[in-house]
Amino acid sequence: MNQQKDLKEILNTLQYTDDAKVVEQISVHTKRVIMRMKGIRRKVVVMSGKGGVGKSMTTVNLALALARMGQRVGLLDVDINGPCVPQMLGMRGKGLLDTAEGAVPPTGPLGIKVASMDFLLQDNAPVRWKGPMDLSPVWLGLTEMNVIREFLSDMVWGELDYLLADLPPGAAADKPPLLVGLIPDLAGAVVVTTPSEVASNVVQKSIAYAQELGIGILGVVENMSEYRCPSCGDTNPLFEGDTESMCEVLGLPLLGRIPFDRNFARTFDKGEPILDGDNPTVAKYQDIAKKIHTLLDYQQVLTGKL
Amino acid sequence: MKFVCLKCETYMTFEKVEKPAEGTLGVFFECPSCQSRFSMVTNPGETQMVSSLGVQLGGRTEAAIPLEMTRGGLEENVSAGKGQMAAYLNEKIQGGQPASAAPAASAAPASGEGESGGCPFSAMVAQMGLGSSGASSTAAPAVEQLLWTPDAQEKLAKLPSFVQPMVKSSVETYARKSGFTTVTLQVMDDSKNASTEGIKWTPEAQQRLDNIPDFIRPMAKREIERLVKEKGGSEITADMMEEAKEKFMKFM
Repeated sequence: MNQQKDLKEILNTLQYTDDAKVVEQISVHTKRVIMRMKGIRRKVVVMSGKGGVGKSMTTVNLALALARMGQRVGLLDVDINGPCVPQMLGMRGKGLLDTAEGAVPPTGPLGIKVASMDFLLQDNAPVRWKGPMDLSPVWLGLTEMNVIREFLSDMVWGELDYLLADLPPGAAADKPPLLVGLIPDLAGAVVVTTPSEVASNVVQKSIAYAQELGIGILGVVENMSEYRCPSCGDTNPLFEGDTESMCEVLGLPLLGRIPFDRNFARTFDKGEPILDGDNPTVAKYQDIAKKIHTLLDYQQVLTGKL
Repeated sequence: MKFVCLKCETYMTFEKVEKPAEGTLGVFFECPSCQSRFSMVTNPGETQMVSSLGVQLGGRTEAAIPLEMTRGGLEENVSAGKGQMAAYLNEKIQGGQPASAAPAASAAPASGEGESGGCPFSAMVAQMGLGSSGASSTAAPAVEQLLWTPDAQEKLAKLPSFVQPMVKSSVETYARKSGFTTVTLQVMDDSKNASTEGIKWTPEAQQRLDNIPDFIRPMAKREIERLVKEKGGSEITADMMEEAKEKFMKFM
C-alpha cells in the first residue's frame, strides 16, 4: 500500500512524455485518413448485419449505376476476409500501384476505382495473418481495424463524387463504429435485406445500432424480392416477408426491390458484369441510385416541393 | 507504457527496440539519472498486439510505404503461427510441461475471482452485470402494464409478426407519454400520426409534406421536426414549413 502511495507521489512530480510515440503515430494515422477523405464528396456504406443478402452485388451495381449517371465513383471492398468485388467486376489479377503519394487503386468498368484486399492476395489464398493463432481473438480485431484504416488512409482516390464501402456480413458489431470514427462526415448507410423474416429481424437490429451511432440510414434495398425465370421471364416471390412494413415502422424509405435474376448473377460471377442500362435488373439499380443521389440532395428537393 | 526508476524517482527513457527472436520484441529503457538499463521482452501475443496498432515503437525513421501493416502482416505460409503462443508458454513458463498441466494453484485468483471458477473474465463479466447470472443488483423500475382493447389487439395481430414488437412498443410509449392506460384503435391511430419528437403537424403542413416524394419524406419529416424543435416549437404549421424551406434554400 505504501509502495503505491510512493509511486503516486513520484508520478505527481514527473512530466509524461510519449517516448514510444505510439499516441503520436495513431494521431497521424487518423489525420491521414481525414486528409484522404477530403477529396471525396459523399461517403456511403452498404451494410446489412446479415450475411448472404447480396451486399456486394448491391454495392457493385449501385457503383455502376452512379457511374452511369456521370458520377466519379470509388468502391472500397471492406470485406477483408471474403473480398469478391474484383471478381464481380472482372478485375481479378489487377493490382494496386504504389506511388510516393500512396497506393493507386485500379480502374474497372465505367471508370470505377476499386480497392480490395483481393488485390494483395495470391489466386485463391485465404487471408491469414502472422502471429499466434491461438491468441487471435485478442489481436485479430485490432489488426482488421487497422487494415481498414490503412485502406482508407493509403489509397490515392483523387477527386470522387461517391465512395461506396461494401461492409462485411455481421458488420453491426465492429465496422460501423470504426467507420464513423474514421469518417466523421459519412453521408449515410444503405441497408440491404431480403424479404425473409430472419433477415429482417437481424437487419432491424443493425439499423438500430447504426442509428445509435449517429449513422444516417438513407434507405433499405430489398434484394431477392422475387425470382425471375430465366426461360419465360415470369416473376414469383421467393420469401413471404414484408420489407415495406418494416420500412414503414422504422420510418425509412424502401429504395427499391431487386429480383433474383439467375442470368444477371451469373454474369457477375464470371466477372463480366452487365453494363447495359436497358437490362431490367440494371434499370432497377439505376432507379435506386437516382433515389440515393436525390436523398443526398434532399434539401434541394424540399425547396422545390415543400 | 512507461517505466519508473524508483531509486531515482524518474521515468526511464526509451532507448531502442530489438527483435531477439521470431515473435518477440525486446524494448530497451534506460534511467537518465543512474543509467540503469533493462529490457522488456514481449511474448508472441503481446508482439502481435503492438504490430496490430500499425505503429513503430520509438517513432518512424523512414516514411511508411502504402498498406505497410497490411502487407507486412499477411502470412504467406498458412500453417505458420498456429499454436505459437501455446508453444511459447510451454517452453518459457511451464518449463516444457503442457500448458494445461499447470497446477491451478499456480495461478491463484485475484480477489473477487474465487467464486467464478478461477476464470478472471467471468468475475469481470459478473461485475459488469453482463453474464446470464450477472444481472444488475439494481432491479429495473416496474413498468405499468397497459390494457389493449380487443379491436386494437386484433389490429396489431394483423401486422407481420416481425414488426409487431416494434409497433407495440411504439404505441405503448406514445400511450404512456399521453397518459392513456388503455390502448384503443384511436390511440393506435394517434400514435401513428404523433411525431417521435412529440411534435404535431397541422393538416395543412401534413398536406405539404405529402407533396414530397415518398422515399424522401421520412428524412424531410425528421429534418423539419428538428428545425422546429430547435426553435422551441411543438406544432408544425404552414408558416413553419415556409421557414424551413427558406432555410433549406440557404444550403443550396
